[in-house]
Amino acid sequence: MRKEDTVKLISAEGYEFIIDKKAAMVSQTIRNMLTSPGSFAETQHGEVTFPEISTVILEKICQYFLLVSPIRQYVLSRIWINPKAF
Amino acid sequence: MNNNQKKRNFQIEAFKHKVVVDSKYADKTWKILEHAIHEIYNHNASGLSFEELYRNAYNMVLHKFGEKLYSRLVSTMTFHLKETSKVIEAAQGGLFLEELNRKWADHNKAVQMIRDILMYMDRTFIPSTHKTPVHELGLNLWRDNIIRSSTIQTRLLNTLLELILRERTGEVINRGLMRNIIKMLMDLGPSVYQEDFEKPFLEVSANFYRVESQKFIEGCDCGDYLKKAERRLNEEIERVSHYLDAKSEAKITNVVEQEMIANHMLRLVHMENSGMVNMLFDDKYEDLGRMYSLFRRVSNGLSTVRDVMTSHIRETGKQLVTDPEKLKDPVEFVQCLLDEKDKYDKNISLAFSNDKTFQNALNSSFEFFINLNPRSPEFISLFVDDKLRKGLKGVSEEDIEIVLDKVMMLFRYLQEKDIFEKYYKQHLAKRLLLGKTVSDDAERSLIVKLKTECGYQFTSKLEGMFTDMKTSQDTMQGFYATHGAELGDGPTLVVQVLTTGSWPTQPSVTCNLPSEMSVLCEKFRSYYLGTHTGRRLSWQTNMGTADLKATFGKGQKHELNVSTYQICVLMLFNNADCLSYKEIEQATEIPSTDLKRCLQSLACVKGKNVLRKEPMSKDIAEDDSFLVNDKFTSKFYKVKIGTVVAQKESEPEKQETRQRVEEDRKPQIEAAIVRIMKSRKVLDHNNIIAEVTKQLQSRFLANPIEIKKRIESLIEREFLERDNSDRRLYRYLA
Repeated sequence: MRKEDTVKLISAEGYEFIIDKKAAMVSQTIRNMLTSPGSFAETQHGEVTFPEISTVILEKICQYFLLVSPIRQYVLSRIWINPKAF
Repeated sequence: MNNNQKKRNFQIEAFKHKVVVDSKYADKTWKILEHAIHEIYNHNASGLSFEELYRNAYNMVLHKFGEKLYSRLVSTMTFHLKETSKVIEAAQGGLFLEELNRKWADHNKAVQMIRDILMYMDRTFIPSTHKTPVHELGLNLWRDNIIRSSTIQTRLLNTLLELILRERTGEVINRGLMRNIIKMLMDLGPSVYQEDFEKPFLEVSANFYRVESQKFIEGCDCGDYLKKAERRLNEEIERVSHYLDAKSEAKITNVVEQEMIANHMLRLVHMENSGMVNMLFDDKYEDLGRMYSLFRRVSNGLSTVRDVMTSHIRETGKQLVTDPEKLKDPVEFVQCLLDEKDKYDKNISLAFSNDKTFQNALNSSFEFFINLNPRSPEFISLFVDDKLRKGLKGVSEEDIEIVLDKVMMLFRYLQEKDIFEKYYKQHLAKRLLLGKTVSDDAERSLIVKLKTECGYQFTSKLEGMFTDMKTSQDTMQGFYATHGAELGDGPTLVVQVLTTGSWPTQPSVTCNLPSEMSVLCEKFRSYYLGTHTGRRLSWQTNMGTADLKATFGKGQKHELNVSTYQICVLMLFNNADCLSYKEIEQATEIPSTDLKRCLQSLACVKGKNVLRKEPMSKDIAEDDSFLVNDKFTSKFYKVKIGTVVAQKESEPEKQETRQRVEEDRKPQIEAAIVRIMKSRKVLDHNNIIAEVTKQLQSRFLANPIEIKKRIESLIEREFLERDNSDRRLYRYLA
């Protein structure tokens, strides 16, 4: 994947998740962030920091994106959440 | 992260915010956001973290501080807009619009960024409290603080109107800038565009065009004025397409049409030396076409044009048919009519784009003035006669059809078609009997056209005439087949047998035929009556022709083609050298008017004077005497002595024909009355008149007084009776 097609999501602990931009755009919020006019930091560097979202949660979020997004490359039938992780 | 799920095996609790919730919290959060907004407005947004701002706004709304957020947002934006307004006001002259445009673009971008950050509030807080969403809020604030600010509002409008005025006087302006500004007004809402711009624009335009049209109409002639009007109209349409709202097009074109065209319509049309009448006269198709397309846009425009055209046609037509000069030559007269029709047809097709209402107006006008002259049917028949005798000689078939179609067109306009029929029959009879028609096919073609137009009845007699001619040929063949041997060296006879009903009635006159001829005629009579019993033959000597060979004094031989009367006269000179008028009259028993005409053509016409008259005057007097002109010469061997060409009738003849037509009409009216009463049984006076007129419309215009007389006559003859109680009601008697 090319760099332009990806976006970096960084969790509170500093873990970086690099996923396809189209997958991330499933979220309206992230889409607004990346397509807003004006030069926010996010658009400039292509990375979004979530200081209040933990790594585990962010990982699940990424999996959700891939499950739901129009990209068919990744096949996930379900997401397993371990309640003890919280 | 909040996660509301249906109750399953386990419950996920709401996420516990690691945030301290107090009133200061709201202010602190707001401070961050306020700072961000400031930076956005100052074009310093790079470096801000979207996520952080979004999170802050989200938190505020979540902890029920949405109201505060919203109101603080409104005041911040208002503050910034007030600053912007000052900057715009400070701009000088031409830079005003540019500054406004730039600031508008900036504002839009800022609002969008703000909306993105405050998306959560927009989606949840605002719908539930029915407040204006951020984007719309941005537009409203802009409108209230900039556009509707007292200083900017008037300045903006004036600048825009001034630019438009400059463009109207020919300058080039920055259309892109105009487009953006106008689009801004449109984006702010249709009421803003209409109230703040469109209304004043239309008013100013109306004034402008009012003044301009006044100036033009004083200075230009009609054609130029129309060109200018058209140009202005196109200009406005183009202006709208470039930088105004499309909905304004109809409104502004309406203004132009009203000021430039509708207000000056009558003056334009009736302008001296260049108005519509002159255009029609000079065949100015382009100008007329322009007038048509411009006037079509205005209510009553086309009817004005049409009325002027109609009255003009009627005027010129009336002049034409009452001009004594033109009436002298019927063929010329009809040709003029045809030329007029052609001219207006061309006008209508080229300039008025074949508009049906104009065509109808043309037809009704022609009908009107053609029938003003009671001799029109006669003249049209004469025109056809002239064409069929010589005018169509050597003309191709299609061209013949074209001419005949044109004649049919004039025929349709006649109200008194039965008069035409009478004259046509007379002229056709002369043509057939004297063998003068140029083309048999053309004759037949015209008959077919008349039949299509008026029905079988109209043409049955005419076709009978053609049949008679054919039958006569066959009869002659039969006659010579049986009697050919015994006739041998004698004069050759050609007889046309005419059925009395089909041919125009002539008073039958006989004269004394020379002996050689009468013998032959008797032989034919007995032959004919032998084959056809129960018929009666009478010789029509006023219509025949003869060829005879003559030898003159110096031995010159010529073959003369003369009429029957003339040959009677000439044969007398075989037995006598000199004869007086009285002697000729006695011997031939030709009626005096005919005899005088006959002698005139034999003695007084230069180049054809086979007889000499003493004294040498032009007119024939009772005591003139005649001799053979031994000095007669001619270049040709065959000499034709003038036969009478169909002329327009003299007064007494005209009266006679008209009388006969009137007589013929009486039975037609009666037949119509009886037909109507038979089906209706009872009818009142006015209705009968109306019905009868309608039925006879295709032949002639029935006179109500005449109809009344016919009704009286029918009552006398007990076909109808008056109702006892109501004197106006008539009843049919079986």
